[in-house]
Amino acid sequence: MSAKASTSQPVVGLSASGALSHAYIKYPPLRCNIPESSGLFYDDGNKIIVSQANNQVFSWKIAPFTPAIAPTSDSISEGPILSIKFSLDGKLIAIQRSNHEIQFQHRETGETFTQKCKSESESILGFFWTDCPLCDIVFVKTSGLDLFAYNSEFNMLHLVETRKLNVSWYVYTHESRLVLLASGMQCKAFTGFQLSSVGIIRLPKFEMMMAKAEANSKPVLASKDVYIITVYGRIYCLQVDRVAMLLHSYRFYRDAVVQQGSLPIYSTKIAVSVVDNVLLVHQVDAKVVILYDIFLDSRAPISAPLPLLLRGLPRSSSIGIRSNRKNGDNSEANYLSDLEAIIYGDDWNFLTPDLICDVSNKIMWKLHLDLEAIAASSSDVASVLEFLQRRKLDANKAKHLCLAMSRTVILERRPLSMVARVIDVLVSSYAHSLKTGGYFKGARSDKMATSSAPHENILAAGCMASASGATITGKSFEYGTASLEGEYFQASASSGTDLEDISTAVYFRTDTNIGTGKVPIDTGIQKIEVLPPSLQTDHDGTRNNLSGTSVSGMQEPQLTSPVISPDEMYSFVFCPAEEEMAGDPSYLVAIMIEFLRSASSEKIKVHPNFYVLTVQLLARNEQFAELGLFIINKVLEPSREVALQLLESGRQNRQTRKLGLDMLRQLNLHHDYVVSLAQEGYYLEALRYTRKHKVVTVRPSLFLEGAFASKDPQILAAVLRFFSDFLPGFSHTSDHKIYYHLLTDITMAPVT
Amino acid sequence: MGLSSVSSNTEDLQFCVFDLKRGQYEGQELDKILFFYPADLPFPSQLSVIGLSEGLITFTSIFSPEAPCEVIEAEMHSHVFYQAEPDIWMVMVVEKNTEVQAVWRIDALRKVLKEVHSLFMMFHGSIRLLLMKDPTGGIVRSHLYTFILDYLSDFLVGKKLHLPSFRDSLKERGTVEMLTVGREAAIEVQSLVRVVESCGGNAQCYSLLLFQDLLVSTTLCPDDTINLFTYAVLRLTPHALSSRQSSWSYRGKGNSGSNIITKSSTEAAASFSEQHSPNSWSEDHRSIPRPLQHDKWSKGKDGFLVNDIWHGDSGNSTSPTPVVYLQQTEERMYLCAYQHRSLTLLFVVPVSSIINGEQGISAVKQLILDNASLKMSKVEEKLSKGWGGENAYHVSGYRYLLIDADRNISRASPPSKVATLAKDSLLFLTKLRKEVDIEKSRTRWDCPDHDRDLEICIRAKNNAWVIARATQGKELYMVLENANETVLYASDAVEKFSNRYCNGAFLD
Repeated sequence: MSAKASTSQPVVGLSASGALSHAYIKYPPLRCNIPESSGLFYDDGNKIIVSQANNQVFSWKIAPFTPAIAPTSDSISEGPILSIKFSLDGKLIAIQRSNHEIQFQHRETGETFTQKCKSESESILGFFWTDCPLCDIVFVKTSGLDLFAYNSEFNMLHLVETRKLNVSWYVYTHESRLVLLASGMQCKAFTGFQLSSVGIIRLPKFEMMMAKAEANSKPVLASKDVYIITVYGRIYCLQVDRVAMLLHSYRFYRDAVVQQGSLPIYSTKIAVSVVDNVLLVHQVDAKVVILYDIFLDSRAPISAPLPLLLRGLPRSSSIGIRSNRKNGDNSEANYLSDLEAIIYGDDWNFLTPDLICDVSNKIMWKLHLDLEAIAASSSDVASVLEFLQRRKLDANKAKHLCLAMSRTVILERRPLSMVARVIDVLVSSYAHSLKTGGYFKGARSDKMATSSAPHENILAAGCMASASGATITGKSFEYGTASLEGEYFQASASSGTDLEDISTAVYFRTDTNIGTGKVPIDTGIQKIEVLPPSLQTDHDGTRNNLSGTSVSGMQEPQLTSPVISPDEMYSFVFCPAEEEMAGDPSYLVAIMIEFLRSASSEKIKVHPNFYVLTVQLLARNEQFAELGLFIINKVLEPSREVALQLLESGRQNRQTRKLGLDMLRQLNLHHDYVVSLAQEGYYLEALRYTRKHKVVTVRPSLFLEGAFASKDPQILAAVLRFFSDFLPGFSHTSDHKIYYHLLTDITMAPVT
Repeated sequence: MGLSSVSSNTEDLQFCVFDLKRGQYEGQELDKILFFYPADLPFPSQLSVIGLSEGLITFTSIFSPEAPCEVIEAEMHSHVFYQAEPDIWMVMVVEKNTEVQAVWRIDALRKVLKEVHSLFMMFHGSIRLLLMKDPTGGIVRSHLYTFILDYLSDFLVGKKLHLPSFRDSLKERGTVEMLTVGREAAIEVQSLVRVVESCGGNAQCYSLLLFQDLLVSTTLCPDDTINLFTYAVLRLTPHALSSRQSSWSYRGKGNSGSNIITKSSTEAAASFSEQHSPNSWSEDHRSIPRPLQHDKWSKGKDGFLVNDIWHGDSGNSTSPTPVVYLQQTEERMYLCAYQHRSLTLLFVVPVSSIINGEQGISAVKQLILDNASLKMSKVEEKLSKGWGGENAYHVSGYRYLLIDADRNISRASPPSKVATLAKDSLLFLTKLRKEVDIEKSRTRWDCPDHDRDLEICIRAKNNAWVIARATQGKELYMVLENANETVLYASDAVEKFSNRYCNGAFLD
């Protein structure tokens, strides 16, 4: 697509995002529309969606979710299909043909074989492939579990283990590796097995709660009322209790199942999704969704119920212009208007964790969170930041939001205690990610990793929120950060200034004051948009505007975590704040001290540039006494940068210059110290120091020139004498001759 | 404790304040005198002291208009001059005695004059301003009398005024003593300070934080810091509040080893100023606030310090919040003091920013309680843990005084340790310091931008090493008794000390 067309995208995006919602699906969907196809099957082990037509199976990869993906096809033999699942290595296709048999086909050779139930009395409820070391595939039957291993040599399954128990129905998610088997009259007694890579764990039996409508009626729990969800690496089970209108939650530990409280529901039809560890409870009848972050024990929703929106839908008027759709005529327009109508339609199937399958239209939607809308809906900035810091999926956006929000609270001069809490949240989140190894500079992971990682965590009963970050592929993006150095870069605001006018232009400054002061731009942070380059993936037409953040998230490398390092705090919060805040800097200084307090309590190192900025601010306000206190107490840690800034800021204040000198001396920066001493006019002290610490890097002419300029013959004579005595061969240099003559000239001058 | 017993030894000291601009005509000479101690000295004698001083000032200012006269060394007396404000002079006449107690270092005495004047300015504004308000001089005189006498009562040991003598040569008046804190604690302190200062709203507030009698943090300029610090240590810190006997600061009583300050001597101090109140300008002195009066401050229930010094207009039971003048901004500020255990917080808010007086102040106080009291106790805990006690800054083998003239900070061996020194050592040190004082004042006029480097080692009669070092605005005085006899040993000792305790400031 041309660059011109791409500029029209934000307008398209605006039309959809104008309405308020916290979760949305994004146009275009993934279309699984093969002519004459029937049925859509979800293979959650491989994250593919499967359809069949004319003895062919078509499969679309849905992770990562790219609507334009083309299906791969395999031909299979004719016959009824109850479900299709590919083996985890992708070599076999398993097709359940009936309640009694499952057919296997080797994808390369096309060889097939069939596995049947032994007795007629039992029937197959379903099956799933597993990466458990014991077996490869598990059949769930009314009589229990059959665990099979695949023998590739003989191309057959052999039974490894059988677990006998009565099963009415079951639920399984590959994400949790957990199978829950329901039994009993009301189907509320459960047995669970986790078939993880370390083996099979049998969970203790437990019963779910069912409220009774009347004394005699006993409601029966259905499989569609039970959901296994994985949030922050913990496994929960959610159960709909229609009588009580509650959604009960249970958390699975290795040795226990613990009831965790209940969420109210407002609709008889409920669906549950998990997007980026946020629980979405769809109140289907009411056509709204409620979001919960169950990281803490709080069962309060993140925000009020709001509808699910379809975003990025091109306006019907603009369809004519969009020439890239070849079939862009009236039927397309009808199709689009249909799409809007079908939100929470009857044909929607909610797939774990965050997909929606529209069976009748044969399309797939992926659920997204609108972090900005969530962030904007709460006034408690600190808890919003806590929420954002836990987001992994859209870490870029979360990070930008966090940066923008923390800038905003500073620029709005919110109360100190409140800003201190904000800073504490960010710093402790960073410290935590350092401890757990979740924060690597430049490390990226694709989104796949986040959804496949957490299955082991039933073993760790504790909460390991960052577990999903553990599988980080070291894939690095070759974005040139070098180009960021040196100058000022303007980040163009990619959309209207919805939130704050401050966000329209953010300057990222690199400090050129200091010789070695290289601004610590983390490779992961910013590819700042100058003009929309060709990188942009325009085919989806949904450049969702980042109203608050001013930097487009589309072209940045994927971050795994929104944590903000102290260097980034400096570059993107304190520096911009310093530039925009006119007048008395004492508020900013107070904030920076809060940051130091927070960092020091978490034992995090702060870059010298941060201290340099503090020195500048204090000096600008002429708070030299306080500055001295800061230096003496090492609130501002000593470094060469700070020392040089003290010398610079202290041009009008000798005490401050001296602090800089002292700091150089204490850091054993002999050369800098001697040069600075000489510049201050302390020639003899400098020479004594040179001699004591054997500093040989300073040229004699520096002292001689200075001593001559001081017009004090005593000093000049002393300097000359020093070099004659201690610098071998000095008396033969031109320096010696020149200054010796000059000295005699000066001393003779009063006479003549 | 009658008048006679106190006034019997007043001949030791004469102290006067006079204005050169007043009493220019014959017969009006008395007008010059703004303060004279002892007040019961006959006027002719008072006038003769002032006349001599005035004559010398006029004479010397012909040669040195900027800094006319600093001292007259007569055979029996030393006259110490201090120009407090343009044309307003303070002169102290001390007796030179064969008794060794009376070996004076002029600079130390001048600092007493400077201190009392600075404190006076802080509470009452400048003398000149008061004179302009009331040209008869009545107000100024009554204020000066109560103030200076209250101030001098701190020097009262038994029945005698003990001015800083040779025994105090390891002390430096007009400096603050700082607590050394670790980085983490320092950050906590700063965080507390910022929170406290944010309680004043948009007005520029300042604060001063003390732990025991040591300064922890200040946001005031150096001069104001010294004044408020001085006042706090004299009257507000836990030591000052409980009694004056246990203070170990250089301001502490019993500086010459006689620590027997009893309740009766406190009463004596009180009666001292009562008795010496002048009756020649009889006015109702009770209406004059006396910030330095003893035992007037106490800790309130909410942690804020309350006093009954300043009198409300309508005879309220609680005294209104005192107002101080800052030198830096020349602004009138309300002074609030909050105390939590060893921690004392002084907080000044501009009078102009508080709209409805006492009500506004109590609102600010409540804000401080709400926002900062938790942080306060956290900081106090942290500082208490890290504090080494009264002898924290004792370095065994050394008796020292370290002055950072740039920052007006000093640190010294604890007085109890200094008291172990032989008299001879201290006498030598006083002599040495006098020399250094002269040297310093010379450089001050010669090249004000450049600090003088100086190194003096003296072997005293009693074989102690008495050492003075000065470099880049820092001064170090030291007495090493029982030390080896070589000068190399002495200079080694200094270097060791410098590297260990002064970040190597005094290099060779």
